[in-house]
Order: sequence, then structure tokens, then C-alpha cells
Amino acid sequence: MEITIIHKQSDAIHFLVEGVDVAFANALRRTMLTRLPAMAIDEVIVIENTSVMYDEMLAHRLGLIPLITKLDDYNLPQECDCEGKGCSLCQCTLTLEKEAGDQETVVYSRDLSSQDPKVVPASGEIPIVKLAPHQRLIVEAYARLGTGAENAKFQPVATVAYKYVPVVSVDKTKCDRCGACVEACPKKILKLDGDKVSTQNTLDCSMCEACVQECESGAITIDSKKDSFLFKVESSGALPPDEIVERAADILKERVREALEFAGSL
Amino acid sequence: MIIPVRCFTCGKVVADKYEQFKREVRQGEDPAVVLDRLGLHRYCCRRMLLSHVDVIDSFMAFATSESPGAKQS
Ligand SMILES: [Zn+2]
Ligand SMILES: [Zn+2]
Repeated sequence: MEITIIHKQSDAIHFLVEGVDVAFANALRRTMLTRLPAMAIDEVIVIENTSVMYDEMLAHRLGLIPLITKLDDYNLPQECDCEGKGCSLCQCTLTLEKEAGDQETVVYSRDLSSQDPKVVPASGEIPIVKLAPHQRLIVEAYARLGTGAENAKFQPVATVAYKYVPVVSVDKTKCDRCGACVEACPKKILKLDGDKVSTQNTLDCSMCEACVQECESGAITIDSKKDSFLFKVESSGALPPDEIVERAADILKERVREALEFAGSL
Repeated sequence: MIIPVRCFTCGKVVADKYEQFKREVRQGEDPAVVLDRLGLHRYCCRRMLLSHVDVIDSFMAFATSESPGAKQS
């Protein structure tokens, strides 16, 4: 198995995995989605809420805010010594207090103050609710680790997707250089290069085969490389994208080991 | 009511981009260009901002600063 990083940003990573089958690629994808823990607000105590928004809706919005997660600092509640009751090793308290003066005020996620300075909203610019003059909001929230299998708010990723590696080939003997395929391609992969049609940025190809349909002489073939996958992992902000991939691979390895051990004990 | 925190379909956080989107579109910029700049490339996330109406502003016209419980006592 070989991994090549194509492109890395603060919130997304793009990489190529070679020498694996679909089952593995999908297992990795699903581990990132449903098995990798992240912090999110799970319990909210509304002490005062005179805003126009219902308490339930407010709690729901708080739950969806991605919190920066330090996986080594917290336990999953079900694996914690407190047996899920909630202690400082598996829970983090956040409080929010805001009152509007004579003006309308927007409550943002940055107004949440956390007990742990490391566990803070990944983005401070998320509007939670709007307060009309003199309305008040006092809230206490408990964040914990959880997995996407339990609730999607715990997912550390927005999208994780993989696709086959496209192979675009133009048969020079059949091509009549009409240029119809160049027009048809929505990703601008084909271009007229002097007297021949050449390809560029083939990794962007979505394999729509619009060019194949346009080509009357049948010179273009779109194929996919076997055993190679292009991954795109987009983080919600809870964890850096490279850590998501690394941790997910560790979890997958551990689960496979457990399964093998069980199979061996039969 | 108010801009949803995340995209319904893919789960990307969209709420933090709404104010900038609204401001720039009001200044006459093309919504498509603003969405591209904000990094919302999938149409699921783009429709979240494009189709949103902030109904909370209408609700706030009827706002009181007392909680329903406080009124009864
Ligand atoms: Zn605990
Ligand atoms: Zn989306």
C-alpha cells in the first residue's frame, strides 16, 4: 500500500492510496465517519432563556457546534472509570451568559466559555441565537466524546469520499481533431494542443463520459485504474484532517485485530 | 428560523459564513462568486445559504424580555 498526499489544507486533505481494494477503502471511509470520536455538547441546562428560540432548538444548535478535540485528554464515557456518570476525565463544562442591552445582539459560539481552554468551538463565528433588547440567555452545557455511530454531531468529518483514479486516453489514429470533446468536458481535462488532443489534470475527471458521447470517431476511452483510490477528507474543525486519517487507520487496525482474535478463539 | 449550523446533507459548518455571504451579496456581488470564495463547493452547502430566510427577525418583533414562567407568578 502506498499513500501520496496530493494536497493538504488546514481543513481538508486529498490523497491517493494505491494497492488496496474497494473493501479496504470503504472500511477506512466508514471508520472516519462513524468510529472516530470527537467532542460535542451533549447535555444542556437552560437556566434562563427569554429569547424567541425554544430551549430544545437552542440545545440542538449548541450540539452541532464542532469543538476542538484533544483525543488523548478525554475518555469515552463508556470506557471511563466513572462508568459513564460524567467526571472531569470524560466531560467538559461550557457556560454561556449574555444579555442584550438596548440593541439587538447576536450570540456567537465564541461567547461560550469553556472550563478547558483546549476544548473550544472550532469556529467562533457561528451565530447561535439573536436576542431582542433586554432578553437574556444563561446556559450551562456539558461536552463529551462520542462517535458518529451514535449521533452525526460527533463526526469529526464533513465529507469523506473516494473515487477511482481516472485514466483518459485519446487514440491518435482515430481522432479527427474536431474539438467537440474539449467543449463537452465540464472539468476542462481535454485540450487542443496544436494538431492533437492532449489531457491535463486528469485526476479532476469525474468520469461523466460526456467526451466519449461527443466523440463521433470513438477515439476517447475513459477507464479507471484498479486498486487505486483518490480520497478527499474534509474536517469539521474538531480534528486536523491528517490526524483524522491516522487515528481512523489505528481504530480500523484494532478492530481487525479484535475480529481475528475472536475468530481464532472459536 | 436562523441559519442552520451545518449543511443538512454533508454536515459542513455553514453558519459562520452566512453573515459575510449576506453582506457581500447585498453589496451587489454575484452569489456564485461569494460562495466559491467561502469554500462552499458542493451544491448541498450552497443551497443552505442561497435559500435561507432569517425568520427570527420577524419573530423578534413580538419579543418580550420575560420568560413564560415569570409571567404567571
Ligand atoms: Zn468519567
Ligand atoms: Zn453540504
